Amino acid sequence: MLLESLTAGFDLFFTPLAIGLTFIGILIGLLVGALPGLGPLMGIILLLPVAISLPPIAAMGFLIAIFVGGSCGGSISAILLRIPGTPLAAATLFDGYPMAQNGRASDAIGIAITSSAIGGLIGGIVLIIGSPILARFASGFAPPEYAMLAITGLFAIAIISGGSLFKGLTSGCLGLLLATIGTDEFSTGYRFTFDSYHMLNGFHIVAVVVGLFAVSEMALQIMGRDLLKIPDVKVARPGFRSIFLTLRHWKNLLRSSSIGVFFGALPGAGGVISSFTSYAIAKAWSKPEEKYGEGAEGGVVSVESANNATVGGTLVPTLALGIPGDASSAMLLGALLILGFIPGPILFEQQPEIVSGLFMVYMASNVFLLIAGLLVTPLFVYVLRIPKFYLIPIVLLLCSIGTFALQASVFDLMVMLGFGLVGILFRATNYPLSPIVIGLILGPVLENNLRRALLISQDGYWIFVERPVSAVLVTINIALVIGGIWYALQKMHIKRTGNDSGA
Amino acid sequence: MKFFRKIRTGLATVAIVTIGANAALADFPERTIEIIHPWGPGKAMAVSQLIAQAMGDELGVDMPVISTPGAAGTKAQITAMARPADGYTIFDGYVAPLVLQPVLGNADWNYSDFKPLQAAVSNAFSIGGRIGETRWSNFEEMMAYGQAHPGKLRYSSGSRNNLPHMVIAKALQSYNVVAQNIPYSQDGNAIKDLKSGVLDFAFVNVGNYIQDKSAFNILLVLSELDGAKASYDGAPNIIDLSVDLGLSGLAPMGWTWWIVNADTPDDVADKLRDAMAAAMARPDVRAAIEAVGFVPLDWNHSEYNDIVGPVAAQLGAMGNALKWEVEELGKLN
Repeated sequence: MLLESLTAGFDLFFTPLAIGLTFIGILIGLLVGALPGLGPLMGIILLLPVAISLPPIAAMGFLIAIFVGGSCGGSISAILLRIPGTPLAAATLFDGYPMAQNGRASDAIGIAITSSAIGGLIGGIVLIIGSPILARFASGFAPPEYAMLAITGLFAIAIISGGSLFKGLTSGCLGLLLATIGTDEFSTGYRFTFDSYHMLNGFHIVAVVVGLFAVSEMALQIMGRDLLKIPDVKVARPGFRSIFLTLRHWKNLLRSSSIGVFFGALPGAGGVISSFTSYAIAKAWSKPEEKYGEGAEGGVVSVESANNATVGGTLVPTLALGIPGDASSAMLLGALLILGFIPGPILFEQQPEIVSGLFMVYMASNVFLLIAGLLVTPLFVYVLRIPKFYLIPIVLLLCSIGTFALQASVFDLMVMLGFGLVGILFRATNYPLSPIVIGLILGPVLENNLRRALLISQDGYWIFVERPVSAVLVTINIALVIGGIWYALQKMHIKRTGNDSGA
Repeated sequence: MKFFRKIRTGLATVAIVTIGANAALADFPERTIEIIHPWGPGKAMAVSQLIAQAMGDELGVDMPVISTPGAAGTKAQITAMARPADGYTIFDGYVAPLVLQPVLGNADWNYSDFKPLQAAVSNAFSIGGRIGETRWSNFEEMMAYGQAHPGKLRYSSGSRNNLPHMVIAKALQSYNVVAQNIPYSQDGNAIKDLKSGVLDFAFVNVGNYIQDKSAFNILLVLSELDGAKASYDGAPNIIDLSVDLGLSGLAPMGWTWWIVNADTPDDVADKLRDAMAAAMARPDVRAAIEAVGFVPLDWNHSEYNDIVGPVAAQLGAMGNALKWEVEELGKLN
């Protein structure tokens, strides 16, 4: 049955139009992903009106490919410029940028693209084989589980904070506080909006990320003394070497892809959480000689495989239940409905060939991502050869265009510039920026699901232990806290012993 | 001579301004027209994009839909109102920001403060339970359970203080059933939690229903219109159960009427109206709207006050069902 419908889907996909548009979609996706401020969602929104006039599988191939390419494209600017093109790539710069600075820009981009493609393909395999099962499993996640999962996610701050846990937690708290701005979902009251209608929905996450990372980075670059110098960068074509480099991290690849699929399958969780979580786990499990944060290949592998596997995971509830996993898949769902297909169990029962066609376009998108990505990498790396005198204004202009395009709002530009100042201040005082993003994203997930769970509960806080999955997550969180304290005490003990023996 | 020269200059100025203005109108639109949409990306936005695309074909310009969610749609409405009255900004006037929020005292405008283009789409609601529920099999049994267990039922209307919340609260009030509303930022998560048994009932729109009919037991269609009942395959509606919501026509439904700033020149508004009417008349557009579970509407601008006026009046007179719900829950805690 599965084979039959896969064959039917194969026939639907293998038309010149569908293949061609899927390939073009990947290129567009890479571009909108790489440009700061834009991203896969913006790409899908802009091109949805074009897509719905096309044959169904070609149309969906086009849009899904933008989703796939856009989820990977952000890594390119993160690696080359230390600017995440999308929030999805905020964790890619931890190791991608140091790799580029060490003269391995092509390798870093090659690994990012290969990891994204393989992560996406793993997500696709899960999508094909386990859609209904995984969708059922994800259905069991309710507010108590989301609240506990958000707490687990916040532990990532401790791992990615680098030198100072205090500074990391401070940044994370700032992110959590920023997340409280806007309209309270429960009381419908306004919080910290200062009577400005612009603030009614809080700050746009993309404007914050572009400001924090891109504007502050460009400010730092301006302060350098090499504005007119043409950088001497060797542009090497990554080719199959990247595949080899990536596959050396196969355990990390499988683990991070699984994390990506898991978070993708949970509606509302999203790629940013999955990429930070998988990075934190990869770093926690790494050997000291891998030197995460200083250009470890594994760091790029974990983030990029996770955020593209999330795309496959996101399509699970979207197709199997008709429940979009995130804003991008909500638009894909809308496109499918307009094209005359109703996502959900009925689609699987009555039109398995369409489901298979969608699986095919998703798998093909990831294969095309690998091919197109590796082909165009040298073009992207040429960016490093542009003197900063020209590069900085171009980047700032692109950031401004991308941020303005979010909501056609000048206020978003002011937010971007404001957070640019915050970013400069944080960098100057060695406070990490990424925990702000984690706090900003996990804040509403934690707060709203905690309050929602308590409203649903008939027994107060017992709801968190009465439900089996939630109870497991509570146990994991407690274990992480105890483990963290034990680790810190051990470290202190070793330090003291060392000092004593030294004395 | 000086006097005549002044007159001549004045006339020339008037002529130039008039010709210029006419030329400007004749050229409208010269650039992109933006549609400010009050919700996040999703099905409703896709429907607005469909209409905008067809309208853009008529006018020969791009018409991007800008998602500006926040504060039950009021952020988008204020954003649109702050733009110049030149026809280059259209507001996707959903009932929540246009009518309901002013009724609730959260906004200081009135539906009549705007210039209407045309009605766009409507979306019927229902109260849905899940298949396999053992405590009740229909709405009246659920209400009997709710009366016996005050404050124990859990339901979602998506976000709080929206139209489905108000209508469901009114239906519950008519049975004197106090239930706990659980707000969700994404309707899909509420539907997921309904299916998995976390919620007892939820608002289910036609789009949700057609995606997984076998998962829902539609308990009550919140409209007296036959078309709405048919969308839910004949499930009982408020007429069948004699539920007096005090609402009729479009009042208990979600709908949007595209509007522009009241100071927009009539010629510009007329061009937009003609383009929208042509877009809404296209069979492919109507078919695509219906595929998403929405119903295309055909009322033109001259019917705006007749249609929207009673909705505003009914919602205003509907009483304080939301306040009643909060007070009754407060008494139980």
